Amino acid sequence: MTYAELAVTTNFSFLRGASHPRELVERAAELGLAAIGIADRNSLAGVVRTHEAWKKLGPDTPLKLLIGARLVFRDGTPDILAYPKDRKAYARLCRLLSIGKLRAPKGECFLDLADLENYRGGLFLIVMPPENPEEAKPVLAALGRDTWLAASMLYRGEDRRRLRTLKQVARAARVPLIAVNDVLYHDAAQRDLQEVVTCIREHVTLHDAGRRLEVNAERHLKSPDEMARLFRQCPDAIDETLRFAKLIHFSLSELGQRYPREPVPRGKTPDGHLRDLTEEGLARRYPKGIPAKVRELAEKELRFIASRKIAHYFLTVHDIVKFARSQNILCQGRGSAANSVVCYALYVTAVDPMEIDVLFERFLSSERSEPPDIDVDFEHERREEVIQYVYRRYGHRRAALTATVICYRPRSAIREVGKVFGLSEDVTGKLADTVWGHHGESISDDQIRQGEQDPHNRLVKRAVGFAERLLGFPRHLSQHVGGFVLTRDKLDWTVPIGPAAMDDRFFIEWDKDDLDTLNIMKVDVLALGMLTCIRKAFALIRAHENVEEKNLTLAMKPTDPAVYDMLCAADAIGVFQVESRAQMNMLPRLRPREFYDLVVEVAIVRPGPIQGGMVHPYLKRRADPSLIKFPSPHSDHGPPDELYELLKKTKGVPLFQEQAMRLAIVAAQFTPDEANGLRRAMATFRHVGTIGNFETKFIGRMIARGYEKGFAEACFEQIKGFGSYGFPESHAASFALLVYVSAWIKKHHPAAFAAALLNSQPMGFYAPAEIVRCARDHGVKVLSPDAAYSHQDSTLERDETGQLCLRLGLRQIDSFSEADAQTVMNDRGFGYRDFADFARRTGLSKRALIILAEADALRGFGLDRRDGLWAVRRLPDDKALPLFARLSTPDQGAETIAPLPQMPLSEHVLTDYQTIRLSLKGYPTEFLRPHLDAEGIVSCEDVGNFADGAFVRCAGIVLVRQRPGEGTAIFVTLSDETGICNVVVWERTFERFRKEVMGARLLLVEGKVQKSPEGVVHLMGEHMIDRSTDLRLLSGDALPPVPPTHRHPRNVRVLPPSRDFH
Amino acid sequence: MALWLPRFSTDRLACLTVSHKAVSRKENLAPETPLVVAGRANNALYVHALNVAASRQGIYHGQPLANARAMIQNLKIVPADEKADADLLEWIADWCDRFTPLVTLDPPHGLLLDITGVAHLFGGEEAMLALVRAKIAAQGFAVQGAITGTCLAARALARHAKNTIAPPGENAQLLAPLPVAALDCGEDVMRAFRRAGLKTIAQVADRGRAELASRFGANFVTRLDVMLGVEEKPLAPRRPLPDFRTEQRFAEPVITKEVIAASLHALAISLSGMLERGGQGLRHLEAFFFRADGKVERIAVKTGTPLRDADVMLRLLNERLDALADPLDPGFGFDVIRLEASFTEKNRIITASFDNNENSRWQIAFLVDRLAARFGEHRVQRFVAQDTHIPEAQSAAIPAQDRDFDGTWVRRRKENDPPLRPLRLLEKPEEISVPVSGVPEGAPMRFRWRRAQFDVTRVEGPERIAMEWWKKEKPTRDYFRVETRDGQRFWLYRDGLYRETGLHPRWYLQGIFA
Repeated sequence: MTYAELAVTTNFSFLRGASHPRELVERAAELGLAAIGIADRNSLAGVVRTHEAWKKLGPDTPLKLLIGARLVFRDGTPDILAYPKDRKAYARLCRLLSIGKLRAPKGECFLDLADLENYRGGLFLIVMPPENPEEAKPVLAALGRDTWLAASMLYRGEDRRRLRTLKQVARAARVPLIAVNDVLYHDAAQRDLQEVVTCIREHVTLHDAGRRLEVNAERHLKSPDEMARLFRQCPDAIDETLRFAKLIHFSLSELGQRYPREPVPRGKTPDGHLRDLTEEGLARRYPKGIPAKVRELAEKELRFIASRKIAHYFLTVHDIVKFARSQNILCQGRGSAANSVVCYALYVTAVDPMEIDVLFERFLSSERSEPPDIDVDFEHERREEVIQYVYRRYGHRRAALTATVICYRPRSAIREVGKVFGLSEDVTGKLADTVWGHHGESISDDQIRQGEQDPHNRLVKRAVGFAERLLGFPRHLSQHVGGFVLTRDKLDWTVPIGPAAMDDRFFIEWDKDDLDTLNIMKVDVLALGMLTCIRKAFALIRAHENVEEKNLTLAMKPTDPAVYDMLCAADAIGVFQVESRAQMNMLPRLRPREFYDLVVEVAIVRPGPIQGGMVHPYLKRRADPSLIKFPSPHSDHGPPDELYELLKKTKGVPLFQEQAMRLAIVAAQFTPDEANGLRRAMATFRHVGTIGNFETKFIGRMIARGYEKGFAEACFEQIKGFGSYGFPESHAASFALLVYVSAWIKKHHPAAFAAALLNSQPMGFYAPAEIVRCARDHGVKVLSPDAAYSHQDSTLERDETGQLCLRLGLRQIDSFSEADAQTVMNDRGFGYRDFADFARRTGLSKRALIILAEADALRGFGLDRRDGLWAVRRLPDDKALPLFARLSTPDQGAETIAPLPQMPLSEHVLTDYQTIRLSLKGYPTEFLRPHLDAEGIVSCEDVGNFADGAFVRCAGIVLVRQRPGEGTAIFVTLSDETGICNVVVWERTFERFRKEVMGARLLLVEGKVQKSPEGVVHLMGEHMIDRSTDLRLLSGDALPPVPPTHRHPRNVRVLPPSRDFH
Repeated sequence: MALWLPRFSTDRLACLTVSHKAVSRKENLAPETPLVVAGRANNALYVHALNVAASRQGIYHGQPLANARAMIQNLKIVPADEKADADLLEWIADWCDRFTPLVTLDPPHGLLLDITGVAHLFGGEEAMLALVRAKIAAQGFAVQGAITGTCLAARALARHAKNTIAPPGENAQLLAPLPVAALDCGEDVMRAFRRAGLKTIAQVADRGRAELASRFGANFVTRLDVMLGVEEKPLAPRRPLPDFRTEQRFAEPVITKEVIAASLHALAISLSGMLERGGQGLRHLEAFFFRADGKVERIAVKTGTPLRDADVMLRLLNERLDALADPLDPGFGFDVIRLEASFTEKNRIITASFDNNENSRWQIAFLVDRLAARFGEHRVQRFVAQDTHIPEAQSAAIPAQDRDFDGTWVRRRKENDPPLRPLRLLEKPEEISVPVSGVPEGAPMRFRWRRAQFDVTRVEGPERIAMEWWKKEKPTRDYFRVETRDGQRFWLYRDGLYRETGLHPRWYLQGIFA
């Protein structure tokens, strides 16, 4: 006896199904079903994962997988399961779903029965029984052949009577009756989770859900015997499932990419065209003649590209990059295939293959039938132009973004599950807030306690339990940041397309991993803030400084020692990639002197090398070259220098992802197949955890071949580390170039650099206050935002002495709209006479003027903050009809009034922080200094003057809190008027002072000073006290404490915003 | 006189526990326990009110609740109940009637008493203020008060300078040192003053009137001047006027029942006419009998449907009057009788229907009103549908006049189908003994209930109903409709599935089909 279950809903029917596709497929195989048919609600989003899970069962599995969708109509038609019998029918199904999605808002699908009739060819349809079976009759009649009527036995009391009616209906319509169990989860034990997700979907608590929930737990996968018993009155319906399954011959393996053909000049092959472009590019890149090594590499790559027939792909990338270049949009490529001479020649990358080994190998291993992968970063503010270009060129039906499956993370899970259990928002909020970031994987008792909840409280425990089970459930689809899928045929013949939240954006239902599984090529059009910043800086330099144009390019020679000197001194705020705390600690140790050092710098502060313990050996060998040695096998097993080539550039220590991979092949003698498996396991480490299978093999073989055990283990640890956040050399090299360029600008043009950073916000790691402070440290004179002089953006201007100054833009003022700033700029002409003139000519709303006054931006008119506000108040309210607006704002006569009391400096500073998040007038702690001195609390700068091991107390404003991915330490940056102080808190201490560390604006840290030989000073926090209330002294007003939410450090406010406009 | 109850919400909670559970006060709401009332604004919880203990620990009004929680471990948090607050303030206002008839609410948490000409009854202003404060404080409420010539000033003084009495013309001096917040003219204006460095009322008052008027409007200046001294705004009466009202005044107080009945009749007809013209029906009817000696008797009746028929009104009133334990005592006679429709609703025009069902529904409604008037509204109940799968929980009984609850009954039975649910459910399912039943999910062949033996001849089922696991883990039930040899039909269930209970499950009988 056997059976095929054809109505299976996975959790890709968001908040309806309660099991992962994998669980369903595995259970179906265990139960010995003949086939399982996956049909999610108007969606094919889960089919690739299902297909993958099914493939894992092996080629011999008796389980057959049918791919389909459950069509849910808006016109009252009962649900219909649609299974395509072949590739063509599958295309029609995709098209049908796309049509439904395109006419609906994001995430929904509007279908009518008439739509199905248009696309029904080759689709086998199972009509789900409506509440009243008679209602199925017209539908069955309309659909004609290849239609079945489903019957289910769900313990509703009158099941048998219902079955009889269904039989009659089916007979009358001349369609076969087919058994289904309308499965929502793989096991009866998942019923509770299904009910929880139902409540989340319906926005009700369990208590109020009532009959929105299923009446019992019967909608799970059942064994063939069980199904036969349930349908004993109608065994034909069971047999029909098997007949149905046999009719279908479609499998997702039949899908393959049909990559678009790029236009090629008449008479040329794509390969020939690519070769010509490469030649042309190389000739431009090497005007003095192409080096032999480069020519040889290029030959090899072109041969490989030809053999894989992927020249079109390179031509596409070339075309996109060419477009960007024509629009003066900075861009840079990276990714496995980008790491090539060809890409250098096509100006996709700027990494000179003479300077750095291109490791096309990683991609070149031709046993891999993986699609090539090139990511291109564009300026983040102008990426949209590139995206629209791609749409224009390929059309909406052949180009779309990939999806990102948004899954439940601890934070979202506990929030929503808590609601279902009726926990109040402050309780779930508290629980959610203790979860650091979004990538924690489970919620520990400690975290519950931190959320001030008793982990043994039944309700809380239960909610947390469900939240844990919900982790990893897909929640909705969202568009990927920039991964484009391009096809030669219409894309909606392969996968349904739907509209994204943004206008004119469309995305498919599959994510990156799905596309990899199916071998579909994609081009990543990504956004990188630093590129925007660099372009803006170049533009400012061009306008205000005398620099040769040829020096203002990404391809500048990375050789200026002054730049390296600056980096060695860890003076790196704002510099790409190396501005984080961990990187700034590394800089003085690594002491980069040449470009390759930057490549290492970028790659070394990463989970891979850190977990593998490779950092210290590398640093030691840098300091003392005599320590450099290369691990070698026993002489019986191979030449002692077999790793020399591989590791020579990194002094015998593997640092990059591909080095670790090569180690597997060379030292652990993995076959290409094994290596491929390892690489896949590494890429999907977070999802599946299969990497353990390779561990014994890898370490065992290396030891057997005579390598040291410790080295082998460290290498494998490193591979695991790469798993979470891999960083190949090609990425590092591309990034290192940006590190150099940004550092160069910072070194030589600090004013332009700071202005560009400010104008590119949000980006980078530091708040505007830090950027400005750093610029001032570099001798830049900074002027406050002023309605009389400022533009929207920060600009450069020369003061009366001819010195280049940074004038902050109006964009720094919170809540001041860009449109208003434009008005201020456009109406300025040769300047405003005075404030009255300004107010009349710009016609700004009173609210906008108050914002300006509050931000002290009227000084240019001779009004300080207090006088300005008082003057603005006097203006009439904006109530006039627009037509008469200009006429009805007559000049108010001058007013003579008694002077207002002087605003104290501390209040000015405080208000500056509230309105522009920084102050050029002083620093809040400055005014507390006498109090702090009296308590024996030292300033941040002073901390460095103490000896190693001295015990100090230091207080400062909390700028940044950081917990590096795998680290056991938390970094806190304190700041006061003298500078910053880097505090390290060990995890154990942190757990005790979590509230202080996470919550304080002004933090007092007590602990020992730690000084490294390189002069890096840390304060090891042992005891923390929240002193935020002291800030009240500045104004006399109460300051609310910092809200306990997690923000990006650059968005953290030193002081809360002013309350007027929020 | 202005009164302000600065800790009104928390005091209310403290009082509540005292009066209801004398013990729990010591446990939960001892005054030293920090207590806050949580309110909601912009989808976030914040501290809406707090007691002394909480404010001593640094909690403040308007603080995000999460912060407050983080600061104090054992913080007791109670959600805000604005209706209860408002009700209690009304109650206190009523209570203040004993000092003066003119009391108005002064939200939030304040009262204004017009004591013109009454202070001497209580021994002068000072003594009166002390008395009022002492009486309110005795109820467990913190209270501050002030007496001045104008309410605005009194209000500001009550809230910002405790217990002041301003002799005529001295408002300005007393107000001068108060913070600008005492002007109570909105957050925006207050901030403008703070930013301008004007921190006290005196500093504001010293600025030129034109200067202020051009910035904050003429209204502000007027308000300031009123506060500082001269002009007065009359108090508005507190009780809203009823929607419809009619009364009869008698030259001679009436005593005889007949006259009173005739008067009520006339009033009912007049009220009915007013309702009809307004297209309204009343839900709440009140009759006031003003006795010549000043006592007022008040009779109130509620109805379940909007009502305007004079006869029905009379009948309901009579039911009520008859049911009074202590009959209406005219004493020296009533000089005014008044009828008020204090709560009305739009009434649809009732046309006599030929549908008898419709008419009988009206009659039932009237019967319900009469019964409720006589026995009390909680004694007459009806069922409403509840949204749940659990059979015994699918209905709940509520007062029949109460129309706020309405569940929808789901019609599960299709035309021509037998009923799936019994007409009558037992109060509690009764266990039956079942010697043998089919496995894994068959019905019993025979069972014994209330010492009688039943042989089952026909069965339908099972209908499987899982219990609500989030309340209490209980076994899933399999329900069967069975018919016995002698034609009785029952609704039985097996408690627990075969795989949980094995061969010896417990069986219950829960309902009987007609």
